[in-house]
Amino acid sequence: MKKYLTAAAAVAATALVLTACSDPTAGGGSQPWDAESAAEWPQQTADLSGTTLTIWAAQNSTTVPEAVVGAFEEATGAQVDVVTIPDPYEQGVQTKVATGDKPDLAFWQPTASMLTALNAPANLQPLDDAPWLDAYSPDVRDITGILDGTRYAALITSPAVEGVYYNKEVFAEHGITETPTDWASFVELARTLESEGQTPFFEMAGDRWATQWWVQVQLADAAADGLWDRVNAGEERFTDPTILEAIKSYKALVDDGLFNEDIKTATFEDQADALLAGDAAMVVQVNSFFGQLQAKADTAELNEMIGFFPISPSGNVGTFIPDQSNALVAFKSGDESRERAARQLLSFWLGDGYADFVADRDTVSLQTEVPSPDTVPQALLDVHASLADSVGSMQALAVANPDLYIYLADMIQGTTTPEEVARQTQDHFAQLARAQGVEGF
Amino acid sequence: MTATITTDRRPTAGGRAPATTGPRRDRIRKNHPAWFLVPAFAVLGVFFFVPTIFNFVYALTDWSSFKSEIGFVGLRNVRDLITSGTLLGSLRITLVYAVLVALFQNLFGLLLALLLERDTRINRFARVMFFVPVIMSALAVGYVFQAMLKPDGAVNGILGTVLGRDLTIPWLGDTTWTLLVVALVHSWKWMGLSMLIYLAGLKTINEDVLEAARLDGASAWRTFRDIRFPLLAPAVTFNVATALLGSMNGFDVVQATTAGGPARSTELLNIFIFRTFGQGLFAQATTMSLVLFLVVVALAFPVIRTLRKREEVL
Repeated sequence: MKKYLTAAAAVAATALVLTACSDPTAGGGSQPWDAESAAEWPQQTADLSGTTLTIWAAQNSTTVPEAVVGAFEEATGAQVDVVTIPDPYEQGVQTKVATGDKPDLAFWQPTASMLTALNAPANLQPLDDAPWLDAYSPDVRDITGILDGTRYAALITSPAVEGVYYNKEVFAEHGITETPTDWASFVELARTLESEGQTPFFEMAGDRWATQWWVQVQLADAAADGLWDRVNAGEERFTDPTILEAIKSYKALVDDGLFNEDIKTATFEDQADALLAGDAAMVVQVNSFFGQLQAKADTAELNEMIGFFPISPSGNVGTFIPDQSNALVAFKSGDESRERAARQLLSFWLGDGYADFVADRDTVSLQTEVPSPDTVPQALLDVHASLADSVGSMQALAVANPDLYIYLADMIQGTTTPEEVARQTQDHFAQLARAQGVEGF
Repeated sequence: MTATITTDRRPTAGGRAPATTGPRRDRIRKNHPAWFLVPAFAVLGVFFFVPTIFNFVYALTDWSSFKSEIGFVGLRNVRDLITSGTLLGSLRITLVYAVLVALFQNLFGLLLALLLERDTRINRFARVMFFVPVIMSALAVGYVFQAMLKPDGAVNGILGTVLGRDLTIPWLGDTTWTLLVVALVHSWKWMGLSMLIYLAGLKTINEDVLEAARLDGASAWRTFRDIRFPLLAPAVTFNVATALLGSMNGFDVVQATTAGGPARSTELLNIFIFRTFGQGLFAQATTMSLVLFLVVVALAFPVIRTLRKREEVL
C-alpha cells in the first residue's frame, strides 16, 4: 500500500511539473492584442460605474495620482485603488508580475531596459495611437517610453536629468558668479573650494543609488557618440577605457578628499540636509533629490538657495534618466472592459485632467497647451530646459540596467578597485542581456 | 527558525508495533482506509514536493521576466555562478553568520537558563521578558536595532554618557565587524527560545545525581562541567541544530538592519537570492536557492549526527 501511494504521489508530482513548467504570464489568460481594440480609445468621461481599477505605485509616487484619480472617480463613477508596493519597488513589481499578479496601471520607469524587464510585448497594452500624443511638446513626445518601435508608457511628468545641484549662497560666499562650463572647470572649482576650507561635493554611499550619476555624467559625450549602442552589441565593454576611466576619475575625486567625510555612511536625507545647510557646495543628483529638498524648504527659499546646471565632459549637456514616478504603463489584465477603462484613465489624466494635475503637483507641464504653474521652483524649470539637448543615460539607452551603483558603493567602502567595479558591472550586464536573449551575449 | 528536529529517542508510538493478525487487522483496515491519507499527501505534495522539484527543474532553465518562453540550458546557471565568484562569497558570509549565531544564541541562552533556573517570582518575570523578542516580528527587531546602532543612535548615546565623551561609532558601517553585530542581533532575538529549552533540560536532571555530587564535595563549577552540561546534551543538539540551520536561511533580521551592506559584507545568500529574483533573473535565483538547499542538507546531517553521538553516553 505504501509503495503504491509513493508511486502515485511521484506520478502526480511529475504530471504537475510537466504541465506547469511554463511562465504563468505567458499568454493563456490575457487576450491576444488585435489592431481593432488598439484603435479604440473611450471618451475621457464615459460612465464607468461599477468598474474598479488598481494602480500600483512606489512609496515616493503613491501621492502623485491622488488628485487626478479623485477627479476621474467623480467624472466617471469608477473606483480607483492606488496600492503602494514597498521598496525596492521594481523588484516587488517584477516578482508579482512573474507570478501572474497584475494591476491595471502601474508607475514604471519608461526606459527600454525596464520595459523589457516587464516583458512589455506580453504584459503591457501598446499606446501607439493614444489621443494625448499630439498635445505633448515636440521635444519630449518621443523621448522615452518606446520599446522596439512600440509605445508602452505614458509620460506624465518631466523626465529626470542627472546634473549638479548647487548652493547659491556658498558660491556667492566664495565669489563664484559663473557656473562651470565643462568637466575640467567643474573639478577646478571644486579644488578651489576645497582649498578654501569648503567641502565641495556630497555623496551618499550609505544609500548607494546616487553613486552611478558621477560615472554617467562623465559618459555624456560618449553616449552622444553611440557608446551604449556599442555596449549593447557587445562591441565595447565596461572594462574598456571609456567607462573604466570615468570610474577611475570618480575614485580619484573621492581619494582627493573632495567629498564629505562621512561619504561611506551618508544617506539620501543627509545629502539634502547638507546642501541646504551649505555644508557641501554641490551634489550630482536627479529630480527626486529636488523633491527631497522641497520636503525641507518652500519654493521661495529654494529659488534663493538652490541652483542647477547640467555637466558633461566638454560642456553643459544633461544626462536624462526617466524614473518610475515620471510615467505609467497599462497592463493587459485579460479583462477587456478594465483594459479599456485603464486607457480611459490615461486619456483623462493627460487630457482634461492634466492642467489640474500639474497644478496640484507643482510640476513642469509636458504639454504645449497647458502652462506650468507659477509656483514651480526655478531649478526644476532649469532641469526641464536642459532636457531638450540632453543625452540618454545608461538606463535609457542600454538594453539592461546592471548594478553599477552597488559596485561603485563597494568601491567607496574600499573593498573593490575601479577595475573590479568595471568587471563586475560587465558580468552583470552580460548576464541580464543574455537572459533577454540579446545577440552577442 | 522553523525547523523542528526531534531529539526524543524513545520509539515513536506507531513504530515497530507487534504485528497484528486476523480479524483485528481487518478491523483496523476498515476503520483506517488508506485513502484517508490522500488529503494529507495532496497537501504535502502541492506545498512541499512540487516546489522542491520545481526548484531543481527551474535551476536548469533560462526562466526570466524578460521573455515568455522557458528554455532548457543545462548546468549553465551553476557554471556562471561559480565562475563569477559572487555565489561563493555569499555562501562564505552565510556560513560565518550561521556559526556566529549558533555560538552566541546558545551561549546567551545557556547563561540565561542557569541564571534564571530557580523558580522565584522575579525569575519567572525575567524569563517572560527574555522570551518577548522571540515572538516579536524579526523585521521589527531589525528596524529597532538599525535605529539604535546608527552613528547618532541610542547605543552610542548610552555608551557616550557612560564613558563621558561623544561617540559616533558606525556599528553597521564596518565591512569586517558588522557581520558580527548583526549575528548578535539575531542571537538576541532568539536567545529566549534557547533559554527555554535549556531550562527544560535542566529541570529533567535527576536531583539525586546532583545531591550525590554535592555530598562528594563537588564545586558548583565542577557539577556543571561534569554532570549538568553533559546531561543537557539533547537540549544542546536541538538548540545548536536549529540555530545553525535556521540562520543559514536567515534573511529578515539582516535585511532590516543592513540590507546586505556595507559593501555587501553582510549579504547572506538569501538576500542575494532576493535581489537576483527581483531583477527578473528567476532561473539564476532558483539555482542559488537550490545551492543553499543542498548546503543546508549537507551541513545538517553531519552536525546532527555528531551532536546525537554526544547523547549516546547518557
